[in-house]
Amino acid sequence: MSIVALEGITQRFGDFVALDNVSLHVQKGDLHAVVGENGAGKTTLMRILYGALSPSSGTVSVRGQQRNYRSSRDAIADRIGMVSQHYAIIPELTCLQNLMLGAEEGAVMNLAACRTRADDLASRMGFSFDWSAKAETLGPAGAQKLEILKLLWRNAEIMILDEPTAMLSPRDADALFESLKKLAQDGATVILVTHRLPEVMDYCQNVTVLRGGKLITHQAVTEVTKPELAELIVGHALTEFPSREVTPTEAVLSVQNFSVIGDRGDEAVKGASFQIGKGELVGLAGVDGNGQRELFHALLGTRGFHGLANLNGEDLAQNSTRDRIEAGVRIIAEDRHDEAIVEDWSLADNAVLGFQRLPSFRAGPGINEAYKAERVQEYITRFNTKCTSAAQPIGSLSGGNQQRFVAARALGESPSLVLAFQPARGLDIDATRAVYQGLREVCERGAGALIVSFDLDELLEFCDRILVINGGLISSPAAKKRAEIGQLMVGAK
Amino acid sequence: MGDLSFVTNWGMFTAILGLAALGGMFSERSGIVNIALEGKMLMAACITALVGGVSGSPILGLSAGLASAVLLSLSHWALTQFYQVDHIVSGMGINLFAYGATNFIALTFIKPEVPNQFLPIPFYFGCLALSIGASWFMFSRMRAGLRLLAVGENPDKARTTGIEPLQVRLWALVLAGILCGLSGSLIVTNSGSFGDNLTAGRGFIALAALILGGWRPLSVALACLAFAAFEAAQIQFQGAPVLGYQLPAAFWKSLPFLITLIAMAGLVGRTKAPSGLGKI
Repeated sequence: MSIVALEGITQRFGDFVALDNVSLHVQKGDLHAVVGENGAGKTTLMRILYGALSPSSGTVSVRGQQRNYRSSRDAIADRIGMVSQHYAIIPELTCLQNLMLGAEEGAVMNLAACRTRADDLASRMGFSFDWSAKAETLGPAGAQKLEILKLLWRNAEIMILDEPTAMLSPRDADALFESLKKLAQDGATVILVTHRLPEVMDYCQNVTVLRGGKLITHQAVTEVTKPELAELIVGHALTEFPSREVTPTEAVLSVQNFSVIGDRGDEAVKGASFQIGKGELVGLAGVDGNGQRELFHALLGTRGFHGLANLNGEDLAQNSTRDRIEAGVRIIAEDRHDEAIVEDWSLADNAVLGFQRLPSFRAGPGINEAYKAERVQEYITRFNTKCTSAAQPIGSLSGGNQQRFVAARALGESPSLVLAFQPARGLDIDATRAVYQGLREVCERGAGALIVSFDLDELLEFCDRILVINGGLISSPAAKKRAEIGQLMVGAK
Repeated sequence: MGDLSFVTNWGMFTAILGLAALGGMFSERSGIVNIALEGKMLMAACITALVGGVSGSPILGLSAGLASAVLLSLSHWALTQFYQVDHIVSGMGINLFAYGATNFIALTFIKPEVPNQFLPIPFYFGCLALSIGASWFMFSRMRAGLRLLAVGENPDKARTTGIEPLQVRLWALVLAGILCGLSGSLIVTNSGSFGDNLTAGRGFIALAALILGGWRPLSVALACLAFAAFEAAQIQFQGAPVLGYQLPAAFWKSLPFLITLIAMAGLVGRTKAPSGLGKI
């Protein structure tokens, strides 16, 4: 009998149908994968099981009994726990405070007893924590471990993990799955939401595929191959992204002994030296928070740096951000809302952002409206941004569509160097490929590109060459080998 | 004799500032910027004097004073949390309302011939000691304190652990109201009768002490002790020659504010405010 049974779940948000008659059956003690592209409805389905949403129709049964959760509190009481993609850990509180928060054992807390229980749980999983340290001292892997302990603290037996490895290095991800296997052996049931197929193939017993809010299939992992699964997810056959050989003759960007001071006054990037050649798509692999952000901003000019940096022969130290944009630096920013768009502005106005000083966009003291109108159409059609018109506020588009527009804009106006921070964020597989294809095309016309991503597989698939950043040190692996790069990412080599 | 009055004044101002600053701490730790300490104190001072005098019962007077400050605090909660008004704007609104309302009440209802009834001042010292200890215990050992900290740092994440930020903030503001009310009642008790703008900006000095103390109970209490010393010095030295010079009275009057300004300029940025402060 299934420990979790969702039957005929439909979820509407206004006119939009996020889930259409979806069922999910999970066996006790399983690692069960729920896979699908961004927007397939995976997280929505999990939020229904977790009581954070009540479905428009359909039933939720747990341990054979039908449940009607009014909030997550009810689900937690029913021993269901969820770790969402964005950790719920509050960095300013201590690890112990985070562990207990929301599930304290009484109005007055016996800290010694709490600490003992915390240590017990941690040692059961093979973790160790400094409980009185602030949670901000934890890296992504530590935060993920703490999230799992939070589930144990709440006595959860059904654990939902939403993209748990998105921020982890390959080694930490493997360690995580070992822990999950141990939990499953002890009788827990783990539901894993992911888009990374190797995890599904290596660790899970059953898999449910969703596409566009519909249930596509439900299978034992042994009955399906990875390419088949990929096809089920996307809905059509996938050809391998053609790899290519690039041997650049000239450098677009060349940095030497390049250091950047971080927010806390420490050296976030330590004496990096590397080149990006004309025509080259270079991926920067690394776990989040190892200096990618600071490097990115220093190259853009929104943060200072020490050392040498040369863009097509020009010394970047002398150039403001404005000069760099005129010299062809383009950006796909990490934080779309804070750094890339003005949500209340129309697509047309957003199309000019960053380009307002370029001669082509100028007409006297103002903006060349005719050129702007032409360009915004180009940006919209480039990656099929779904919108009603260019006058629509960009904030009314879905995240994925905003990302398509932002990516298209960064490839416009003859770039010489594209800096892309997680360019595929929120995009489905087809759109991701289109964006990388676009990056490749501008590179073929003489630009270079530096791509920061926390997803090593994405970089391996689409980039010509890979650099690794760990603790602010940049190294250059000899070849595009996953295992070797994975080790460099955690400084194990 | 002169030295003794310095010490009593010092203690008095410590209690006034301390109670208000601790009230502000509960509010700001839960994420609500509280520049309305002043208004809540002023209202409590006025109502304590009015009800105490009319009813002849000091306990009734204090209770009414506290209730009025809590009521203002609740309206602060409703404005910021329910109607999502900017925290600074709503706080300023409450200050202006309190200033106008107390002025009106004092002129219309408070009769000078009715004798005032107040609780003895040591009662307030007891309240201060109790609230320092209790708030320290609450933040370090109690579920309620932990949840309040969590909501102030990150209401959205707190919500995902099953905590209701609106509810937590409601109680935080009730506590803030009670403590501001005690502070206001002490001011009017100390001065003997209510007068226009009796609090004279002490709510803002308390706010500065709160920031200087880094939103932590013991450090806030120490900051209040320091600011109170300057307030007491102001009264002590006003009009008295210092090293043979006769400094103008205005200098002494402005001294506490000047010190506050200098302390803020030098130290703000070194203490860390709750991350969720002012966020809806």
